Amino acid sequence: MGTVSNLKDRASRKDIPVRFADDTERELYAKREKVYPREVDGRFARLRAIAVWVLLGIFYLVPWLRWDDRQAVLFDLPARKFYILWFSFFPQDFLYLAFFLIICALSLFFFTALAGRVWCGYACPQTVWTEVFMWIERHIEGDRAKRQKLDRAPLDGRKIGLKAAKHAVWVVFALWTGFTFVGFFTPIHDLGARLAALSLGPWETFWILFYAFATYGNAGWMREQVCIYMCPYARFQSAMFDRNTLIVAYDGGRGEPRGSRKRSVDHRAQGLGDCIDCTMCVQVCPTGIDIRDGLQYQCIGCALCVDACDGVMDRMGYPRGLIRYTTENAVEGRPTRVLRPRTVVYASLLALLSAGVMTSVLMRTPLALDVLRDRNALYRETPEGYVENVYTLKLINMDGREHAYRLDIAGLPGAALVLGRDDIRVPAGEVLSLPARVRIDPYDLQGASSSVTFVLKAEDDPDLVVHEEARFIGPAPAR
Amino acid sequence: MTTHSDAQPNPVAALPAVQRVSAVLWPSFLFAGAATAVFFALIDPLVLLDCQGAPPLTRTGAYSLGFFLFWLLTAGASSVTLYFLSTRVPPSKRDDGAPVAR
Repeated sequence: MGTVSNLKDRASRKDIPVRFADDTERELYAKREKVYPREVDGRFARLRAIAVWVLLGIFYLVPWLRWDDRQAVLFDLPARKFYILWFSFFPQDFLYLAFFLIICALSLFFFTALAGRVWCGYACPQTVWTEVFMWIERHIEGDRAKRQKLDRAPLDGRKIGLKAAKHAVWVVFALWTGFTFVGFFTPIHDLGARLAALSLGPWETFWILFYAFATYGNAGWMREQVCIYMCPYARFQSAMFDRNTLIVAYDGGRGEPRGSRKRSVDHRAQGLGDCIDCTMCVQVCPTGIDIRDGLQYQCIGCALCVDACDGVMDRMGYPRGLIRYTTENAVEGRPTRVLRPRTVVYASLLALLSAGVMTSVLMRTPLALDVLRDRNALYRETPEGYVENVYTLKLINMDGREHAYRLDIAGLPGAALVLGRDDIRVPAGEVLSLPARVRIDPYDLQGASSSVTFVLKAEDDPDLVVHEEARFIGPAPAR
Repeated sequence: MTTHSDAQPNPVAALPAVQRVSAVLWPSFLFAGAATAVFFALIDPLVLLDCQGAPPLTRTGAYSLGFFLFWLLTAGASSVTLYFLSTRVPPSKRDDGAPVAR
């Protein structure tokens, strides 16, 4: 862990002790012990619950929203069109997707530098679905102690019943998740109708089951192991950390030496710190770590240990915050700086890139023209002695409404465009494939290969115009 | 070829099977997804399916098949990497951590 290695030599009691690579490796080879997180109530637990509701609400509801006559958000893979509200995107817009992903990555860097692993604690799908699966588990099998007892108990009717009920609810929820997921990529109303009629296509069925299985496996069984063993971000997030990054930390200076005591006694007089060693912070941890051991890469920053410890401090009559969101600098009594080169650079990059992409999306010409020359024949001669090239034009209307277009050619004097029809109309978000021929008297040709420009213009909007250059092949000029 | 000394077991070979399997399947899954997205953004599968002898597939079928072919490739690369790491001879170290020449 890059930023923590420089802390190695500090010996003051206010240090955040950290685990180093050797420890980490040992962790990686250790056999997994099942984690039974205890339920906890508090500020951060409520914040997490809100995050779960909002994010899953978005996930499960968005595919059902309508915009005009179509699904509001649909990544229509079978039709090769993406709809996001009033925008439609085509494979030609792939660059936007690339930039969008870069923006996502930069946001992750920015928020990590600023606030640590807020993504992990509150927004990561793994966290969010695990939370729901644990909630189901808690309602069927009971609280932490009951779950542990149940797992230790011999297999009897009651245990089989509870386990079967839990897995049944998990499976149904996972299937619903898989269905919703596929509903982002294929129109969900049709999908629902076909599901009701039991006439889903083989691939739709496969992907629903695949995603359902992934949800069930990751949120039901794998849980914190996904974060610890499979998540690349968990491994490299420390590179974005510095001494001003918000982390969940145990104030060892205040808590140590830990130990149990009666509420009535003056623990300071007995030489004890504020930590009563109740292990509540360990019991509530979804990744099963002891935050008092210091900053660890398994910590997803969910702050449930903060809630647990605050509750204990309240009952003991001690001030809250023995475990708290803080920064390394704050723990050491130095000021925390939010504005620093790292955050400023990330933020400016993020702002520039987002503004650029937004402008480009808003300013783009919602019209595209692809020209494909017929490769089967170089050219053909007509009975009248003209030379013709055949093209297939693809007219892509990315605008929100239908347009009538006019097609012309330029750049090849003497050439004429021959279209099969006069009226070129393309509905909103549709692609029109149009055969076209360019005809020219061979005496007007300057060489065997010339360039010709197709000009596509909307009849009702002179600004809506695109140019696309193509090759025109003719006979080699006789010299 | 030198073999591992008992004092320094190869850490990759010591990984539980589940972790070795996920170390191969998971990164390759992610990159197969990215490869599929880029490939099919550039190439409409219907164009490929027009060819003689192409399997009778829909676009969705072609995307899925393409994804699994990519996954096969990337998982192949990942498993060779894992194989190299797990058969690698770790350098011996002195107590002070400095490498010893063999």
